[in-house]
Amino acid sequence: MELLIFLTLLILGYITGRIAEHRHYRSILEREDTLRGIPAIASKVLPTDFRGDTRLVTGSVVVSVDYFKRFVAGLRNLVGGRITTYETLLDRARREAVLRMKAEANSQGATMVFNVKLETASISKGRRNAIGSVEVLAYGTALIPG
Amino acid sequence: MEYSNPKLPEGINTTEEHPLKEFAVLSGGVLLCIVVVVMALGFSADLLARRIPFSYEQAMVSSYPGSVPESHPVDAVLQPLAGRIAEAMDLPDDMTITVHYQDSEIVNAAATFGGHIILYRGLVSRLPNENALAMVMAHEIAHIKHRHPIRSLGRVAMVSLSVMALVGIEGGDTASSVVNDAGGLTLLTFSRAQEQEADREALAAVNKLYGHTAGAMDLYEVLLEPASESVGELPAFMSTHPLTLDRIRELKAMQRDLGWSASGTTQPLPVGLNRP
Repeated sequence: MELLIFLTLLILGYITGRIAEHRHYRSILEREDTLRGIPAIASKVLPTDFRGDTRLVTGSVVVSVDYFKRFVAGLRNLVGGRITTYETLLDRARREAVLRMKAEANSQGATMVFNVKLETASISKGRRNAIGSVEVLAYGTALIPG
Repeated sequence: MEYSNPKLPEGINTTEEHPLKEFAVLSGGVLLCIVVVVMALGFSADLLARRIPFSYEQAMVSSYPGSVPESHPVDAVLQPLAGRIAEAMDLPDDMTITVHYQDSEIVNAAATFGGHIILYRGLVSRLPNENALAMVMAHEIAHIKHRHPIRSLGRVAMVSLSVMALVGIEGGDTASSVVNDAGGLTLLTFSRAQEQEADREALAAVNKLYGHTAGAMDLYEVLLEPASESVGELPAFMSTHPLTLDRIRELKAMQRDLGWSASGTTQPLPVGLNRP
């Protein structure tokens, strides 16, 4: 019985996880194209010719992996090596956070975001094995031409 | 200065490996390792455990008074038969068999440390003759003779310690429970092998005692009755015992190969057994 529940969760996790990931990547690629006009730059030094307002913009996202990926990652923990099933999770989270930050900058009328930084936090504190989710926060200084 | 975020090629920060492939390689590899390691640990623990003197086992049991059931009037009815069977089975001199009758519905019998065997009313009351009773007792005495209880204890202790060392004591996540379950299922192969060994030894003892094996199989007919299998049988790889039908087939083959007579007069059950 337990084995049956486990296999169902595994298959369910795999299918839903695949669909969710596929959709998310498609949406990320689309929005990256539309927001390409607002570059996100890591430099602290603003362009010398810039005149206008600066404002803090943030974008944060919380993503969870599916049961299947968490299980594979658990097996990987035993033998070591790259946890490839978590790579897409973090890649999606980072890009989504930057996109949300850019969207905020866009709504403020900004043309660029400077001094962009990324923070990653695991939100499974205290429940080490129960939740496989991360939060990624992107923040930076939006340049709003005056 | 110009600033831009050009479109970058995909797949720099991710790995283009199909997750199912990773799953297959990892789970296959991990399961194989567990089976091999548990087998190796099991065999080595077995080798050590069977060297533990029987007297240690007896001392262990007597230092935990609650570990054997309290005495029952029927114990005395069963004890002489156990003595005859033990004699037929050439038990080592220092090995003593103590029979305990338990007034319980459970359709089962058990052998435990220190030569104690437990027969439940649920099983005994369903047996049609002394020969079937002798088969049950011989089966349990065979477990004692081959030191199965202490060897199982050694194996389980060894394997669970190793699993704990590997996945941590608290476990909890799915990966560690898989390691646990795979280890447990592998251990069951030892258990099934022990049951088979005890079955064979028991049939030989019954044949020696009565000159034929008539009635011995009646035990398995009882085990096949629906009442005794309330939950239905699990698949073979998840069971502690081989499937009952497989056991019958195995024993019938043994009867045939060794030319033991399957017919003969069965003895009535010892006087003093409560029939419902």
